[in-house]
Amino acid sequence: MSEALARSEPVSAQFYSGAGVSLSLAAPMARYALRARQPEPLEHLLGFELPRQIGAIKGGAACLGPDEWLLRGPVATTVATGAGLPVSITQVSDRSVCLLVDGPHAADVLAAGCPLDLDRFAVGRATRTVFEAVEILLLHTSDDRFEVEVWRSFAPWLKKALETAARQLR
Amino acid sequence: MLLIHCPYCDQQRAEIEFAYAGEAHIARPLDPAAMSDEDWARYLFIRSNPRGRHHERWRHIHGCGRFFNAVRDTATDKFEATYQAGKPRR
Repeated sequence: MSEALARSEPVSAQFYSGAGVSLSLAAPMARYALRARQPEPLEHLLGFELPRQIGAIKGGAACLGPDEWLLRGPVATTVATGAGLPVSITQVSDRSVCLLVDGPHAADVLAAGCPLDLDRFAVGRATRTVFEAVEILLLHTSDDRFEVEVWRSFAPWLKKALETAARQLR
Repeated sequence: MLLIHCPYCDQQRAEIEFAYAGEAHIARPLDPAAMSDEDWARYLFIRSNPRGRHHERWRHIHGCGRFFNAVRDTATDKFEATYQAGKPRR
């Protein structure tokens, strides 16, 4: 049923393009919140090893806390329910949207509202943090690209805040 | 910007990512029914509130989500140490 409904996104696809930075909305993807005290049963279900260090990304899974991972993948990705195992697997695909911050000044735009030391936030790192007052999940996926996962209802506000920061770049 | 060391992330992170959660190392009485009202009220409401070294709980709510304990000087706001929940009092 839900597949038959027209999908509506809270922000437009390519919403800012300027010198040194462009802002856009990532294509829809599947997201799973994975929780487990011991990662082994999860790894057995998924068929690959999860990162053990908080902040690391491996195989599309980002380690957010000592017992928490976020798995992101193509829309068709499915994960077994894990019934009977000491794990919690929740499909959260539509909980958040992903905003892409691209370009050599991507870090400068994010630094306008994010307290992290972005110079030391290497490629391949992911963490939950804040942008001004909004909680975000920040992923540094390549030299010039940051991905910002934000809950849907906060996306229009965050879009405006990022745009405002991008406009002020000189 | 006040930086707080998260013992789980093992990083210095901005205070805005954390939430304060009251005094640390307060164990819930094992048998509340056996306590007098005064003792129960003392457990619920009475805190040490020192000037100086204070053991307190913090949560890295906009980060790894974990509760941990910290020793902070209430006069200078300086963090002396942070350590994982369940570890002995410092």
